[in-house]
Amino acid sequence: METLVSESSVQPERPLRPRVPLEPAEFARLYEEHSRAVYYLALRYLGDPQKAEDATHDVFLKVYRKFNEFRGDSSLRTWLYRITINHCHNLRQSWHSRNLLTTTDDSLWETAAAPVDSPLRVLELKELGERIQRTLDGLSDEYRLLLLLVADEEMSYEEIAELTQQTADAVRGKLHRARKAFALRFQQTA
Amino acid sequence: MKRQTKHTSQEQEQLSQMQSQERSALEFATPEDLLRHDAKEVSVPPEIAERLARSLQSEPRPARSWWRRFLDR
Repeated sequence: METLVSESSVQPERPLRPRVPLEPAEFARLYEEHSRAVYYLALRYLGDPQKAEDATHDVFLKVYRKFNEFRGDSSLRTWLYRITINHCHNLRQSWHSRNLLTTTDDSLWETAAAPVDSPLRVLELKELGERIQRTLDGLSDEYRLLLLLVADEEMSYEEIAELTQQTADAVRGKLHRARKAFALRFQQTA
Repeated sequence: MKRQTKHTSQEQEQLSQMQSQERSALEFATPEDLLRHDAKEVSVPPEIAERLARSLQSEPRPARSWWRRFLDR
């Protein structure tokens, strides 16, 4: 199975904490704490509530089965996101191959003039979720993912860099362009 | 004079509508601020937890580690 982010690259040979199977009560606490973050990432990355629901179920089932592989060298949130991103990426790849969807060309947004520092103004909250989804759908997978990850305040630039296998400086640079692309696209969806 | 009063009241109404719109408008400095707001508005469907509970019933129960068995004695 193809993976977007490497699970082995951030897992050192020597475990940093004992490998412990997850008890059902602990799993319930883990779900309580992280399900919103996982579901939100899946929802906005996949753009489909039903598929996000399926993905969240599958991710947590995988977490339950593979928890003894979590070595604690990255944060639990990072590990959960790694599983979620790989799962969602594989789903998207299979749709792309089935439906021959074209990928978004980010350079279109990069050359457009846009006031990057101007705030995003929202008058109508009712359909805001749909508008955000339409905006994200118009971005490349990479820009969409970077924006969703940086929106999680628990994630540092270094953790995002580790997850997406690039340097923190590269993440900063791409985020600058991703914000600009998002702002332009968002204005157009008004 | 009455006409002037009516006009002023229309203006006031428009102004009041504009002020109301101003109050309901939200501004987000960055896309991630907007996404954070969106994330707070999204709730996790309870069906996921129900499905997980059913799925976990058919999963083999994890073996307890020796130190946990020792501590639970």
